[in-house]
Amino acid sequence: MSKELIRLSDCVMSYGDEVVLDHINLYINDKEFLTLLGPSGCGKTTTLRIIGGFLSPTAGDVLFDGVRINDVPPHKRAVNTVFQRYALFPHLNVFENVAFGLRIPKGDANGRKVKLPEQEIHGRVMEMLETVNLKGFEKRPVSALSGGQQQRVAIARALVNRPRVLLLDEPLGALDMRLRKDMQNELKRIQQEMEITFIYVTHDQEEALAMSDTVVVMDGGRIQQIGTPEDIYNEPKNAFVADFIGESNIIDGVMRADGVVEIFNRRFQCLDKGFEKDEPVDVVIRPEDVDIVDEAAGQLKGTVTSVTFKGVHYDTIVDFYGFKWLIQTTDYCPVDSRIGIKIDPDGIHVMKKSAYSGMFGDYSSYSEEYEELDVVEDEPEEGEGDAPWEGGHEE
Amino acid sequence: MKKQSRFGGRLFIGLTFLFLYLPIFLLIVFSFNAGDSSAVWKGFSLEWYSALFHNRLIMESLYTTLLVSLLATAVATAAGTFAAIGLYSLSKRRRDALLVVNDIPMMNADIVTGVSLCLFFVAFFQGWGAFAQWLNEQGWLPFQLPVRLTLGFATMLLAHIAFNIPYVILNVAPKLRQMDKNLVDAAQDLGCTWMQAFWKVILPEIKPGIVSGALIAFTMSIDDFVISYFTAGSATSTLAMRIYSMTKKRITPEVNAVSTLLFLSVLALLVLNNVREIRQERRADRQEVREPSFFERLSMRLSQPSWRWVRRGGLAAAACAFVAVVALLTGATWSQPVVNVCSWGEYIDEDLIIQFEEETGTRVNYQTAESNEALYSLLKSGGADYDVIVPSDYMISQLIEEGMLEELDYSQIPNFELIDRRFRNLPYDPENKYTVPYTWGTLGIIYNANMVDEEPTTWGALYDDRYAGNVLLINNSRDALAAALFHLGYSVNTTDEAQIREAFELVADANRRGVFQGKVMDQVFQKMEGGNAAIATYYAGDYLSMADNQAEGVDLRFVIPEEGGNWFVDAMCVLKDAPHYDDAMEWINFIASTKANLANMDYIWYASPNKEALEQYPAYYEEEYGEELDPELYQIMAAPADVLERCEMYTVLPPETRALYNELWIQLGT
Repeated sequence: MSKELIRLSDCVMSYGDEVVLDHINLYINDKEFLTLLGPSGCGKTTTLRIIGGFLSPTAGDVLFDGVRINDVPPHKRAVNTVFQRYALFPHLNVFENVAFGLRIPKGDANGRKVKLPEQEIHGRVMEMLETVNLKGFEKRPVSALSGGQQQRVAIARALVNRPRVLLLDEPLGALDMRLRKDMQNELKRIQQEMEITFIYVTHDQEEALAMSDTVVVMDGGRIQQIGTPEDIYNEPKNAFVADFIGESNIIDGVMRADGVVEIFNRRFQCLDKGFEKDEPVDVVIRPEDVDIVDEAAGQLKGTVTSVTFKGVHYDTIVDFYGFKWLIQTTDYCPVDSRIGIKIDPDGIHVMKKSAYSGMFGDYSSYSEEYEELDVVEDEPEEGEGDAPWEGGHEE
Repeated sequence: MKKQSRFGGRLFIGLTFLFLYLPIFLLIVFSFNAGDSSAVWKGFSLEWYSALFHNRLIMESLYTTLLVSLLATAVATAAGTFAAIGLYSLSKRRRDALLVVNDIPMMNADIVTGVSLCLFFVAFFQGWGAFAQWLNEQGWLPFQLPVRLTLGFATMLLAHIAFNIPYVILNVAPKLRQMDKNLVDAAQDLGCTWMQAFWKVILPEIKPGIVSGALIAFTMSIDDFVISYFTAGSATSTLAMRIYSMTKKRITPEVNAVSTLLFLSVLALLVLNNVREIRQERRADRQEVREPSFFERLSMRLSQPSWRWVRRGGLAAAACAFVAVVALLTGATWSQPVVNVCSWGEYIDEDLIIQFEEETGTRVNYQTAESNEALYSLLKSGGADYDVIVPSDYMISQLIEEGMLEELDYSQIPNFELIDRRFRNLPYDPENKYTVPYTWGTLGIIYNANMVDEEPTTWGALYDDRYAGNVLLINNSRDALAAALFHLGYSVNTTDEAQIREAFELVADANRRGVFQGKVMDQVFQKMEGGNAAIATYYAGDYLSMADNQAEGVDLRFVIPEEGGNWFVDAMCVLKDAPHYDDAMEWINFIASTKANLANMDYIWYASPNKEALEQYPAYYEEEYGEELDPELYQIMAAPADVLERCEMYTVLPPETRALYNELWIQLGT
């Protein structure tokens, strides 16, 4: 396992009475691709800005390589950022945008300001532009570039400084679907090639699952779960995570014994153990883990209320005793037909009851929920947008 | 129907613009007029422009204006830019509130800003005076702090900076709003300190706002009159203030010329600003890649590291040059001996100032006041630091009474011997310890011979129904009641309330009957010259200049009525604690010389108290103009002894009588 690089220890961020980050504890390993995932206002951008040095936590410590850096200003941190809407300098061309950081004199070992020789700057900028596939664009003004190209400039501008950590704040949010997929692959490639740590902020769970080594799911200023994409998907810790990551049917259940859970008064085999006898629990059943069978052979019986063709499969909504499930299946079942279902023991995930119990999982409001999740975060989070230069003044 | 309304709309727009621009157009046209009339076109000429550039007072005030505008613009632009950036780091609610506060000074009446700043400075100076005196007495400092501060260039500069800052903020703020707020974060993220981020990122982004803010501030500064007027003190004049003092009597074509230039330069600045903005908008619309301009190529070249030394050297050289120019211009005037003179508008042949400066090396700071009363209140407010003033007789006795004048050192004024005995030891200065006469003259009736049936030889003509609506009442209680007192056969210096009330009733009655066209001071020139009134009360010297400018069909005459008239002396005095006493003596002696008196008499047409000059003037005139001086005019200018016999000089009235005058004058209304 690679070594720990950054640690947030008991970080609290609050503006007056409003608590934005509630005792965050998190460590990030060297060369790791870590994603902070969560809906608008969950505190993920605030966490990123604390690591970048633009915000100072109200309480708690930020450690970098074991050294406390709470009071180190952004320009002295070995961290660079790719901003949400790129924040390219409009008055400079592509080359000068990328060269910006290299042209700032840096203190050497003796504390003297040293400027890089022009030749080295040129070499590094051109190399970086090649890495992001922008060779030949050096002289263009940034306003003449497409969104994807601007994105690459922003990445090159950050990476050319050879940071130990690259922070990416929803970098693909403004791109269209196809471009986003390409850029995801490209970012992953760059991260592996350059062997540096990426801390990535997004609200797009697919993006998070596809790229990350570690995913941190956040909501309401708290970390809900930390784990590999597989862990997060397969073993969600609570209803929020289960709902936010992929599609889930979350049903009230009761643990009758180890490996036996009761849903709708029927007992199902499962793999979960260690609950109290008769403890009320949340049960997560992923839509793709449900098999549709004849009504007679089904463990549960219900009526199809809606069918949507999705290419590989059908999204089928089935009403079981007034509670609507989403089932993803390749079998076509017409609306109003009666069906039965079967669930294998490994398709059932049992979770302790939490504050989120009962809030998710019913697909009655299926379509609205879809749209809500797809809304791109346009508004900056947590009111920090009002103070663009706060970070600079604080030091 | 529709067509008609469209025509109506166009007509309306046309009339609006005509109304807006016709006066300025006329001003420009008449600045090229060959004659010195402001109503009759006498051919094209550039003489007024050339006169303008040879007019030292105007050029001096132009220099003051440019200096104050440039300095105020530079400081206000820097301060306003940082203030705007500061505002944008506040929360939106507080920022919006502060932006509203920022708008108030711009909407506020200039007069309020001006007066309040003046009040503030004077209050500060008083506090400072006490503090500096105390500190000097303690002897802690190796040098003495100046105790007496006065309004001047520095206070005016501060005022200009203060009223310019809101305009800069107003122009910079939108650019900051448009700017992606992440840019600064990005720059800091890439290794900039906040200050580096400011220079490398914020500044280029908001530069258009800064430039237009600076241009507006500069325009406002150049343009400003009211605030400068209240904060410049006595010894500094901007161009606008100079123009104002030049228009006191008549708008000379020289004023037209300087106003034209002022208008054109402000117009040029505004056009420049607008063109710049339009270009930027177009460029932003097209998002085009623009060929860098010469200056941008130059600055790009200069920003290459290999050019660093050139760049630094250039900057340093430019800074040095600026400092040197400012130091040279201000230093030259500081190290030079100076004498501060306050007189009346159009009351000196300006060549005399140049002659004096050439002969003595002492610079003359020549300022003007509007009236004896205005001068008096200026002196009382402590806002003036004049050496020499030229008040009229009655004001002199009041100033002496109040101990505001310094005795003169007549051993330094040998030319005092040339002053006619008639004008020495006059009632206002019986022992002649404080004054050297400057001019003297008479107050009489000016009338248009083509508008009256007979020569108005008595003051009664002023109250005569035959001239109803054609008589101009002088807007000065002393002069207006003096005429009535003369008519009633009383002394003009009477303190008898009954007599004064009787005289007032005479005036008030005529006023009720509509005899008077209005109460006027300086408008008398335009009214009489243009033939718009028949009879007015005014000074002989001014009559001569009116007669010289009278329109066709106007025949102006002057008469001192049988009952007698007022005669007056304006004399030079030196204020107590004058900072340049010896220079003041030198100036007074120079002005008392025969040569100076002749020049002044020829220029302002008031009689000289210098015996030689008075006698030599007809010969001087003949030599100058190649024609004989009309003896009748000469007699009007310098009233002969028998006429002077009939005249009476004002003396200072006791406070209760002055109060009565004021009260009655207010009763008369407008």
